[in-house]
Amino acid sequence: MTNDAVLAVSHLSKKYCRELRRALWYGVVDTARELLPSASPLTLRAGEFLALDDVSFEVRAGESLAIVGANGAGKSTLLRVLYGLLKPDGGEVRLRGRVEALIELGTGFNPLLTGRENVGVGAALYGLTRRETDALLDEVVDFAEISDAIDAPVQSYSSGMKARLAYALAAHLKPDILLVDEVLAVGDAAFQRKCVSHMHAYLERGGALLLVSHNTYQIQSLCRRGILLDRGRITFSGTAIETLNHMFERRLGADDAMTRIAAPAIGPIVITDVLAEPLQSDEVRNGEPLRITIRYRADEPVDAAWGFSIWTADQWVCVCGASDLRRRSLAAGDGELTCVVPRLPLVGGRYSLRAAIQDFETKQPLALYGWHDAAATLDVRTDATLLANAQMQLNQLVTVEVEWS
Amino acid sequence: MSEIVYTSESELRYPRRFLAEAFADLRHAPGVAWRLFRSHAQARHRRTALGYLWLLLPTLATTLIWVYVQSRRIIAIETTAIPYPIYVLTGMICWQVFVDALNAPLQQLTAARQTITRSRVPHEALILAGVFDVLLNCAVRLLVLAAALIAFQVPVAATALLLPVGLGALAMLGFALGLLAVPLGMLYDDVSRALLMIATFWFFLTPVIYPTPAAGIVRLNPVTPLLDTTRSWLLGGTTANGFAAVTFFAIATLIVAWLFHRLARPHLVARLG
Repeated sequence: MTNDAVLAVSHLSKKYCRELRRALWYGVVDTARELLPSASPLTLRAGEFLALDDVSFEVRAGESLAIVGANGAGKSTLLRVLYGLLKPDGGEVRLRGRVEALIELGTGFNPLLTGRENVGVGAALYGLTRRETDALLDEVVDFAEISDAIDAPVQSYSSGMKARLAYALAAHLKPDILLVDEVLAVGDAAFQRKCVSHMHAYLERGGALLLVSHNTYQIQSLCRRGILLDRGRITFSGTAIETLNHMFERRLGADDAMTRIAAPAIGPIVITDVLAEPLQSDEVRNGEPLRITIRYRADEPVDAAWGFSIWTADQWVCVCGASDLRRRSLAAGDGELTCVVPRLPLVGGRYSLRAAIQDFETKQPLALYGWHDAAATLDVRTDATLLANAQMQLNQLVTVEVEWS
Repeated sequence: MSEIVYTSESELRYPRRFLAEAFADLRHAPGVAWRLFRSHAQARHRRTALGYLWLLLPTLATTLIWVYVQSRRIIAIETTAIPYPIYVLTGMICWQVFVDALNAPLQQLTAARQTITRSRVPHEALILAGVFDVLLNCAVRLLVLAAALIAFQVPVAATALLLPVGLGALAMLGFALGLLAVPLGMLYDDVSRALLMIATFWFFLTPVIYPTPAAGIVRLNPVTPLLDTTRSWLLGGTTANGFAAVTFFAIATLIVAWLFHRLARPHLVARLG
């Protein structure tokens, strides 16, 4: 642990078992093993997997770290270990100062107690005196904006109200390290903004923040650094924006297992390949020229028209396309048709490219590529910028050229 | 600034730290437990028409059944020195304290499952709230006993002032055994079912509805000396041997069960959450 770190995680591992019966039995075994002074070895038993696998990072005072990853990547498990609810199975966690956590939005509250009593319980756990508790209560009620409901049992609260009370309580206990697990997803936009600005102030006062969120705006606004978890391992660590970018790229690459099937011959001509080549740099990028080429094999001469279309990676939505309806007299044998898109409108991400050759007279398709079989893949690269991430977050697909006045 | 370290090692490797943390949680527990207990006591009877009467009804019903059984000679019960209804009622109240305390730890923690898997509320506080509950129930029943004593004109011995000690010892024994069952009971529902069944058998092996025999399994039952002594403090008669020994056993078991539960806690939370 370096001198200025408030939280140091080194080689942290945590085992889990999804089969309930086995998990219960392992619970008995692990409890019994506590009576032995030697640490249990980090070997996986039948049915177990590593929910956290050799995770290491540090957080300093005044610093905020985003933890991102797909569902089941181990984010919540990590926070629970840091909060002391779960015990590591390997490695260690060192914390300097007091830790508060918001795990699954106020489910730590006792539903039968009123909001006021739950705040009292939180304060008592934190070792606050009666006077401090009263002061805390005023601050919490004021921040959470629930003065009307503070004397009603928490079970009668809406999820937004619970989240507000939970955040207000954890934040006003003024911990040195605050762990926030996806709690700001609930609550209206105004309250989310309030929380974000409150967290900024908390960081400026030297607090440390770990934020698990799927909201890229919150992450980008609050965190300078980030780690990407994938099946319990840190697969990327860098700035928050780079981390988000890596996450989105992984997600797009996830369904890469499509197999190519030979195009069925439906007419006198077959498209054998579709290519997309960048002309300006060595990567396909938004705003840069792209050459699209289709290769065909014709059994006999045909009069044709041709075109292509670009689809989302899942091939549900056609993003854009173009057709050249002029007559092309194609000779028998192998040949190519090409065109250039001068400024590619696609934003960063993965797309599918389909092509078609039609009969000139009837406009009926003679050859299709990527309709009944696997389409060509088109990866559009983008730099990790605030704008690029915002586009991904919005599922934006194309940009338009604009002359701003 | 204090540094907290979490590793995979057993907490027993650092006994001083383990005990310091245990006692720190214990210090917080009464304040939190009191808040929980107070609100639960208020909330508990909101959905019942008879309200607090439910604290009395089971005890009264069982007492009436046994008074009927005894008066009709359905089964042979030796005559007691004091009026039989008073004998059974005191026995029932003592027994109920023991059995409520036996069930309290597991019931409390099972009910607070959501809370303990997501917040760091000390389990001690939740369990202690259950103990407060047991004591409240007992206090209400004692009021009925007082009324019955007046109605039957049974004289009360001066040693009745020791009644809280006797009831406290019964609660402690039940509570210690109940806490011992928690780690396994949180994982397997079999334990809570078994506890129910065991309590029924145990009732018949305890001199609640009949006078203590001179020998036999009833004499080996640890509840017997506590119950007999407590009853004799209230109503007079000879006190039983073994009260101090059983009380000491209960305290020792309670401490061991508490520390063992602390070791088991993260493993339970991992399997419950």
